[in-house]
Amino acid sequence: MIALASIRDLTVTYRRDGNEVAALKTINLDIGAGERLAIIGESGSGKSTLALAIAGLLPASSRIEGRLDWFLPSSPSSGAKAPPSVLPDISPPRGEITPSFRLSPITEIASKELPSKLPISPLAGEMSGRTEGGGTDRQPKFVPLGGRDIGFVFQDPSASLDPVMAVGKQIAEVAYTHLGLTWPQAYAKAKSLLERVRLPDPDSALRAFPHQLSGGQKQRVAIAAAIAAGPKLLIADEATSALDTIVQAEIVALIRRLVAEDGMTLLFISHDIALAAELAERIAVFRHGELLELGPTAQIVDAPTQAYTRTLLDAHIGLDATPLLNRAGLNA
Amino acid sequence: MSPLRRFLRKPEAVAGAILLAALVAMALSAPMLFPGDPQAIAGPALLPPFQDWSLPLGTDRLGRDVLAELFYGARTSLAVGLAAAAAALAIGSVVGTLAGFAGGLVDEVLMRITDAFQTVPGFLLALAFVSVVGPSLGIVVIAIALGTWTGPARVARAEVLSIRERDYVAGARVIGMHPLAIAFREVLPNALPPVLAMSSVIVAAAILTEAALSFLGLGDPNRATWGGMIAEGRAVLRTAPFLSIVPGIALVLTVLGVYLAGEGIVETTAVRRGLS
Amino acid sequence: MNLLTVSNLTKRYRRGGKTIAAVDDISFHIEPGETLALAGPSGSGKSTIARLVLRLIEPDAGHIEFEGNDFLALSGAALRQRRARLQMVFQDPLAAFNPRSTVARLLDDPLRIHGIAARAERPRRIAALLERVGLAADLAPRAIHEISGGQRQRVAIARAIATKPSLIVLDEAVSALDVSVRGQILELLLDLQRQERIAYLFISHDLGVVRAIAHRVVLLEAGEIAECGDARTVIDAPQSAIGKALVAAAPRLNRTRP
Repeated sequence: MIALASIRDLTVTYRRDGNEVAALKTINLDIGAGERLAIIGESGSGKSTLALAIAGLLPASSRIEGRLDWFLPSSPSSGAKAPPSVLPDISPPRGEITPSFRLSPITEIASKELPSKLPISPLAGEMSGRTEGGGTDRQPKFVPLGGRDIGFVFQDPSASLDPVMAVGKQIAEVAYTHLGLTWPQAYAKAKSLLERVRLPDPDSALRAFPHQLSGGQKQRVAIAAAIAAGPKLLIADEATSALDTIVQAEIVALIRRLVAEDGMTLLFISHDIALAAELAERIAVFRHGELLELGPTAQIVDAPTQAYTRTLLDAHIGLDATPLLNRAGLNA
Repeated sequence: MSPLRRFLRKPEAVAGAILLAALVAMALSAPMLFPGDPQAIAGPALLPPFQDWSLPLGTDRLGRDVLAELFYGARTSLAVGLAAAAAALAIGSVVGTLAGFAGGLVDEVLMRITDAFQTVPGFLLALAFVSVVGPSLGIVVIAIALGTWTGPARVARAEVLSIRERDYVAGARVIGMHPLAIAFREVLPNALPPVLAMSSVIVAAAILTEAALSFLGLGDPNRATWGGMIAEGRAVLRTAPFLSIVPGIALVLTVLGVYLAGEGIVETTAVRRGLS
Repeated sequence: MNLLTVSNLTKRYRRGGKTIAAVDDISFHIEPGETLALAGPSGSGKSTIARLVLRLIEPDAGHIEFEGNDFLALSGAALRQRRARLQMVFQDPLAAFNPRSTVARLLDDPLRIHGIAARAERPRRIAALLERVGLAADLAPRAIHEISGGQRQRVAIARAIATKPSLIVLDEAVSALDVSVRGQILELLLDLQRQERIAYLFISHDLGVVRAIAHRVVLLEAGEIAECGDARTVIDAPQSAIGKALVAAAPRLNRTRP
């Protein structure tokens, strides 16, 4: 497996009312380029914290230790329009492997390997990446940038979309910012994206506001915005949990198709192990901030090594589950 | 972190609290430090400050002790400011809660009454009320509250309109709770934080309004008030400016202290709500 | 005799000048001790029906008969009194409780309002209710936001059974729970049904759960009944288009060694 990102000893601590709560404890995980990896866990498992940490979206008040190394093509897609059409062309000769950077927003932690002034979070990394990129360092440096290299789909599209901006503009803005397109080009791109996410009547949808769309349609728009810049990695954090079963199945099918077409890597965060098993090639099971078990989907589903994973599997109530109801009782 | 410690980390809030504490100390200690009537003659008229250490801030035109008047004035300012603000907040939140929760005709009637009060400038209303009923401490409190309860009422109503759609209000109805109990037990306590956030501004405004009324001679004539002292000093502004300046400074510091401390409290509690 | 009979229930909303029937001429009944599930996609009207049955909103047309009486004819004190028999558990137990309340206060409310226990006796009753739903009695003084989601939903169930209802509306009551907690809550609901003969109106979009817990199911689409019948029969072989779509969309866990 060629790694897209490699997480080592990642620990994230939140401060809450004076107490420190560890949301993630020394996580080690490789994300393979082009794979569909599901992160499974219940509330408090740290699965969303992991998604935010990878996307560089953790709040500044959190403390982050450990490292996250990216293995991305070294040329940031400053002018490139076309999203990669085939599976990852990431076959990095040693020299092109991007340097690692310390994960940590704004706080302490000096790096062991790098001068302390190196990019400290993907967001900050974007700025220093642009300014230092050519000059100061001999090695080509590349730090992934949220929106361009990482697409993020949140659980609640009503909260992630701007309620007072037409959806066409919201998608075009991503393309305009990251692909170096002119505004008309970006707007045309937005329309083709709305077609790709199968929104009925993309022309009028461009001018629609989020409140005029249904929950499923809003999530399609959010996905269109997430993939607008042709990211290498798509993170879907409980992206279907607020939707009903039918719409959920449609969105899962959409994500599967887009990921395959664009050769994206998918990180699918979910509490639903059955849903994850339908979509992912590998499953990582999280509990209380720890990575309990990681393996191919078939192995996790059929031969889990952890009792907790078995509990999750047994707790699934499928259409073939033994009814809990004792029917004899009713008319007694 | 406890709200107290968060409060103590804000220097402006601490400064406000110190000013406020000094004011409260003045108000409480007045009868002990100056057991006599502050409006009694204590020495020669128009004695400048820092001349006679038994009368540190000098005397006014009638020979009254300025320092004693200042201390007793703090009592009046504080009492009227707090009482008027409390009355305004209480009336406002009850009216706003009833209007927002009941809706329909009740809402319509209550909000039109609110409109009517809001179209008349608050100070004019207070002025008219005191001139008709006559000046006394209680009347001044009511007069000031009359002009200020509308703001809290509107904020409370807006908050209640959003809270009444929440599941826990539906839950209270399902459990069979009486609508009035729902309004005042379930809805009002949760609607209060943004209303209370207005209290620092309202207390500060009430203190200023009281001073303005006293300045115009509509304060309680039997009490020392800072507004009254300024008005008294106005006649000799050229020869004895300290008579107006001293109570003026006291007024400014009080309003500043109330405002800074109030904002500090609101901010620290708001942070706590945001976290939970 | 039926516990609840809903006939020709209709609720319309006006949206952008158009009138939409959220619930369109719906009729169904529930027998004592029975679980009837309402299932359907979002916007099918299942939550509106729950709120109509609970008189949280008023219908535009139709009848609701509960325990042999015209439930829609009740108002004021008579309605509040009758509410003791018809309770509800919400989806999100955090949103369903006053954020300032403690567990004890939440359970005290129904006992006080319906005069079930004298003041001195209430702490004992609250402890008994907590134990009935599998919680420790010393949870009573805790604030509602201090306890876990599963514990909160148990408190919600304790509050619902405090007035000894004959029918509880469960509006997506297990959808927001962690799967490991969900099974325990379903077991608790079934146990209560067996012991106290409580009927449930179980609203859910999850056909797997519906099939596991309900006697009968009503499948809804766009405010109308698409299909109804024995829960297992309907879900194992749906006849309506929406039934087929719901079944096809349910996630499947293909385990070779369950």
